[in-house]
Amino acid sequence: MLQVTHIRKQYSTVVAVDGISLGVRRGEMLGLLGPNGAGKTTTIRMILNIIRPDAGTITYDDKPFSDAVRNIIGYLPEERGLYRKNKLLNTIIYFARLKGIPPDTARARAREWLERFDLSRYADRKIEELSKGNQQKVGFIISILHEPELVILDEPFSGLDPVNQIVLKDMLMELRRQGRAVIFSTHQMDQAEKLCDTICLINKGKVVLEGSVPEIKSRYGRNTVQIMYDGDGSFVSQLPGVKSADVYENYAELVLDSTNHQSELLIEIARRLNVRKFEHVEPSLNAIFLDLVGADKKANRGSGELS
Amino acid sequence: MKKMFAVARWEYVEKIKSKAFLISLILMPLIMVTLGVVPAMLASRPDTDLRKIGIFDQSAELFLPLCEFLDGHYKLPGGGPNYDLVPIGDTMNTLDQARNLADALVLAHEIEGYVIVPRTIMRDSSVEYRSENVGNTRITGRLTSAIRDILVQRKLRQHGVDPVFAREITSPLEMKTIKVSKAGAQESGFMEVFFTAYIFIMMLLFLVMTSGQLLVRSMLEEKSNRVIEVLVSSCSTTDLMAGKILGLSGLGLTQVGIWALIAAVVIVQLGLTIISLPTLLLTLVYFVLGYLLYAGIFVALGSPVSTEQEAQQITSYFTILLVLPIALAIPVMQNPDSALVTVLTYIPLVTPTMMVLRIPINMPSALEIVTTIALLVVSVIGVMWAGGKIFRTAILMYGKRPTIPELVRLLRS
Repeated sequence: MLQVTHIRKQYSTVVAVDGISLGVRRGEMLGLLGPNGAGKTTTIRMILNIIRPDAGTITYDDKPFSDAVRNIIGYLPEERGLYRKNKLLNTIIYFARLKGIPPDTARARAREWLERFDLSRYADRKIEELSKGNQQKVGFIISILHEPELVILDEPFSGLDPVNQIVLKDMLMELRRQGRAVIFSTHQMDQAEKLCDTICLINKGKVVLEGSVPEIKSRYGRNTVQIMYDGDGSFVSQLPGVKSADVYENYAELVLDSTNHQSELLIEIARRLNVRKFEHVEPSLNAIFLDLVGADKKANRGSGELS
Repeated sequence: MKKMFAVARWEYVEKIKSKAFLISLILMPLIMVTLGVVPAMLASRPDTDLRKIGIFDQSAELFLPLCEFLDGHYKLPGGGPNYDLVPIGDTMNTLDQARNLADALVLAHEIEGYVIVPRTIMRDSSVEYRSENVGNTRITGRLTSAIRDILVQRKLRQHGVDPVFAREITSPLEMKTIKVSKAGAQESGFMEVFFTAYIFIMMLLFLVMTSGQLLVRSMLEEKSNRVIEVLVSSCSTTDLMAGKILGLSGLGLTQVGIWALIAAVVIVQLGLTIISLPTLLLTLVYFVLGYLLYAGIFVALGSPVSTEQEAQQITSYFTILLVLPIALAIPVMQNPDSALVTVLTYIPLVTPTMMVLRIPINMPSALEIVTTIALLVVSVIGVMWAGGKIFRTAILMYGKRPTIPELVRLLRS
């Protein structure tokens, strides 16, 4: 469906995107991961032809961008991209018309979707009267109302409560089942891990990791250890043989240089902490991300969200 | 094309429902009428009360004829005399004494003001009017013409001219102005011609101001909430820009149209014929071309804007540029064939105003009309092209305004 080859974009002195290549097929979901400022949004904008790459090519079903392509792409920008003063239903119909959908069809479909997202009662309200989460749902409806073949969502999960995260996740899986190609960017590794067929990790304008999730995990799988313990485990990242570590209150995930010195490591840790579990595992995407993106991100441990 | 009309329709329909539009629809004519008509009405409103005016007549010759003249010429709406002439002191008083007395009366609001007629009035024709308010041109004007009239008649009589004949030769002159054009001679005053042209220019100004402001606002809004990204990924920037200009022009035209309709009704009601059809059509051509030119400039200037303050600045500078030709209106009216006017006519930015002003006064030559229209069309195309290029990139720029070299590079790319 979409093939991006060696695209590059430079803003005066900053290279925002430096030779990124990626592709997505129909019925496939691609997760675009990376820290802030990595070049995710710039890449997305180039795919949408909002800005043009300085070099490289982007093809849609092996054809270059054309007016027809606009009608088969759906887009949800990170800031939701909604008018504030206009009425909900009218706005949805307008955006659908811009995608070439006749007004009557647009109206019928919009009502259906509003019903589905439990927003029917807001149809004639101004968008600014809606909560942020509801506005996000409206943005999502706009991005898929014209039944696009390629759906691009920039940070679709951020700002949604857990219930709506599940609703959105189900929607994305439905889109994939319908044979659409889906690209979404996210900070939430666990979402990407569970949903995506393939992921593409971008850092500093370059692709640092790409492939299917199981394949990536097995590639990184040998060196990861999970420990659960009681006590202050902050020292574990400093231990010899530890390449990178993601340390929590009484849980840590360590990526080791090699598997040779595991027992020494366990002895060392057990000497200082009460170890409850020490297990050789597949790494989480989060750990891989940390490992690749670098030590400067180590300090940033939240609930799996990196920013 | 379809998408362009979708954009146009959206801009038109959504804005026409807004309160801001309704307010400007009603407020603007209200302000114009208030500023234009009310002061004139107030100034020409007749007095309702008797005005007391003092007179210290050292010559002792003017008091009675002046009383007679004022009573004869100026009446209150009720029929009573407008002015009551009150003698101050008597001729035995010195000038200083009389002045002190009368000044006190003025300050006590006993009298509106007073005239000092010197003994030598018949020789040097000079009087003095003293009042708290010397800006009341109606009183001073009337007194001046009354006294002049009396003096002239008296002098003529001294030279043995028959009083009836004397009155005849001092009767004031009345001037009618007739506008000659190919359509035939037509009675019309300078003011009528002036206002015809003036109204057209004001309409152009308001049209550009309202829809230009809406254009900049709408771009700013879409930029600040990133709607622009969804729009640009749905339709081409050309469709978007053209649609916006079309929709907001429609809005401006609706507004001006409603005003014009009201004006037309008033004109028909009053039985005035101000403008002929060919003049009107030609004026409309300049009107539309001028509007498109300004719209293109607004797009080019407005798309890099990313804050409300910047938008304010740009629209207000631009409005000044538009008001400038209005300041030139009177010199143009007085001398529509001067070199200055000819030069200005060929500067595209002011061509529309100049031509709109000149057409009702004195139809410019066919050559001039054709060349200026051609020049305007070329400028409109150029500005739209440049505006489109700037729009394409600048609409996605945030935070910083592009520098001039950056803009030049944009246009070259």
